Amino acid sequence: MAATDDLPLQRFTIIEVNDAKVPLCLRLATSLAAKIAADLGANVLKIEPPGGDPVRREPPLLPQGESALFQFLNTSKRSLVLDLESGAGRATLADLLDKADAVLFEEPAPVAALLRASRATPVEIAAFPAGMDAAARPVSEFTILALGGLLHMVGEPERKPLRLGGHQASYAAGLTAFTGLAAALAARDAGQTAPDVRVSLAEVMQWVNWKAASGADASGISPGREGKFSEFQIVPCRDGHVAVVYTATQWPATRDLFGDPRLGDPKFATRAGRRLHIAKLYEIISPWFAGRTRTEIQKTAQAKGVPFGPIFSPAELLQTEQYVARSFLANMDHPTLGALRLPQLPVQWNGRSFAPRPAPALASELTA
Amino acid sequence: MSARPLARVRVLDFGLLTAGANTSAMLADLGADVIKIESGAYLDPFRVVGKPDNEDGWWNRSPQFRFTNRNKRGLALNLKDPEGQRIIRDLAKHCDVVVENFRRGVLDRAGLGYKDLSAANPRLVFAAISSQGDTGPERMNVSFGSTLDATSGIASLTGYEGEEPRISGMDVNYPDQIVSLFATGIVITAVMEARRTGQGAFLDFSQREVASFTLGEEILAASADPARPSGRRGNREEGVSQQDAYRCRDGRWIAVTLDTLDAALETFCAGHDSATAVAALLARGIAAAVCNDGSDLLRDTALQGVTLARDGRGGLVKGLPYRLGGKGIDIERAGPDLGQHTSEVLRELLGYDDAQLKKLAEAGVTSTTPAIGEV
Repeated sequence: MAATDDLPLQRFTIIEVNDAKVPLCLRLATSLAAKIAADLGANVLKIEPPGGDPVRREPPLLPQGESALFQFLNTSKRSLVLDLESGAGRATLADLLDKADAVLFEEPAPVAALLRASRATPVEIAAFPAGMDAAARPVSEFTILALGGLLHMVGEPERKPLRLGGHQASYAAGLTAFTGLAAALAARDAGQTAPDVRVSLAEVMQWVNWKAASGADASGISPGREGKFSEFQIVPCRDGHVAVVYTATQWPATRDLFGDPRLGDPKFATRAGRRLHIAKLYEIISPWFAGRTRTEIQKTAQAKGVPFGPIFSPAELLQTEQYVARSFLANMDHPTLGALRLPQLPVQWNGRSFAPRPAPALASELTA
Repeated sequence: MSARPLARVRVLDFGLLTAGANTSAMLADLGADVIKIESGAYLDPFRVVGKPDNEDGWWNRSPQFRFTNRNKRGLALNLKDPEGQRIIRDLAKHCDVVVENFRRGVLDRAGLGYKDLSAANPRLVFAAISSQGDTGPERMNVSFGSTLDATSGIASLTGYEGEEPRISGMDVNYPDQIVSLFATGIVITAVMEARRTGQGAFLDFSQREVASFTLGEEILAASADPARPSGRRGNREEGVSQQDAYRCRDGRWIAVTLDTLDAALETFCAGHDSATAVAALLARGIAAAVCNDGSDLLRDTALQGVTLARDGRGGLVKGLPYRLGGKGIDIERAGPDLGQHTSEVLRELLGYDDAQLKKLAEAGVTSTTPAIGEV
């Protein structure tokens, strides 16, 4: 286990309150924000309902049956089960809050009033903006992607819109909540009154998708999914797929990679021309990809400054030379699950990484 | 009004496009004084890709630039000129944070890398945001937005069932958007440490790693079980009974997530307008929502929350991803014209006088017009 005595947030105490009943998409955001603080050394106490945080049972599952999702989102924390429907549970929580710097929780938590009134700075995670009066509206991460306009952006224009892989709505909100938490801690640290923080998944998705609003405002027409009409497409190659991506100024270098005289046709010389003749363009370049591997394609393109992106699966990322060289993936020795391998915080601080410590077992008593 | 969390923090901002420029914008949102550095020979590419016309002053009119750089002051200094470089080193003594997302080595070659600037100011927090990070065999690799959808793993999990992978594309460039949400919090943490210890830090962010970090549980599950099935499942999600987008009678798509299977849902949606279908599903306790586009987002001010704002010129700009102290953002300055605050900042921080400023302009060290037309 890594020493925590010289980690940047080690002098802060943070409480994460898990209600049993809130939508899971909110919990994932709360837990990610608190996990980042915990990996950075904060003393994070996760208050779980009797029976535990429901995420303990959520997929993907490890071969032993434990939740990989829970293990990833709760590294470096401690856990305590409290029944917040009982007076004794709430009294214990009030005592803990007295010594804490910040408290993270979701709307609508039955104990929200207690948490907001404590001397710890509240960081609230909600589905919808304050003032929308939608706290009771049924919600999922998928419907948040639809409301935020991100769903509209991926897929073929005539087919159904597609979600991005992973828990993008919850995790973008979790990263936001961490930054809000850091701002609140900085204010407290400087002796100022810290602002309370409220993060809604719907607002974070719209903020992330700002080019849709900007584009609609500038032209009156919203950007949307372009599929096979897009300049950037996915092309099959010998051992998988590659994303064809380049900027307007990188077109000559991109064109020259293929060595096909047909690409010298003036109709491909401008961005507008390439968009107009996009099917023909991809018909010409596709065979070049079919005969090459992802590694060959990336090396050849990068040598000319062309940013093609080979597509890797999560399993393949475990072997990626760059990730191995930077030790981005940490080996974590779990007391009951054995050796686990997972991403560390994506920052190196003076060359140092922040090794995560195993997520806590369900505990009814607090140990040091 | 109480002091904002980053009041009295000053940021030297070399950030370009979204990943860098938006990290410093988020620091400005929290009260930092952000000084954006460009040069006539190298504009923020958002000034160029978003230009609405080719008339004089086009470089000051890009909506994408205005969206991202509100509440900053703007300087234009030639970073290839030794005098421009000397001014940056002097400015760094008055700053707490540097944000940059140049290709690795660009600032080092100009004598403006972490080694040089931290020698002038050891308290400096230096955030280097790059495609692949500052170390490793791929550190010099270029990327552009969706390159990182591909290389991070997100694209491999995005797509129609059993079909090819998909990227978020140039109108989203998803990996560029999320890096600032994380990097800003880490910069604040490092500023706290610098206040406490007197020592700054070099923060090395890999955008690709930030994107892969959002697939943490997938990477963990794959490491424990290399045979675990992975790939594209459309809109379905492990552990969710039924989830998809359905087309309604009015032609609009709605997103629905169900805890129990409903084989009749597709027919139900096809027979009702989207608003009616969503209302009926919500009344049954089922999560449902219309698929909004950018125009819908502009219209629905309640849903917008604090994410959009207007600058002093009336232009639409980026708001906040969160509410702090119950409030959204006040736009105190529109995104700066090229070099708009060069003289103001050099007078204020370095005590330059009229004669010195005139000499810099005549020598081409400072400017207010671009030396280029494309980037």
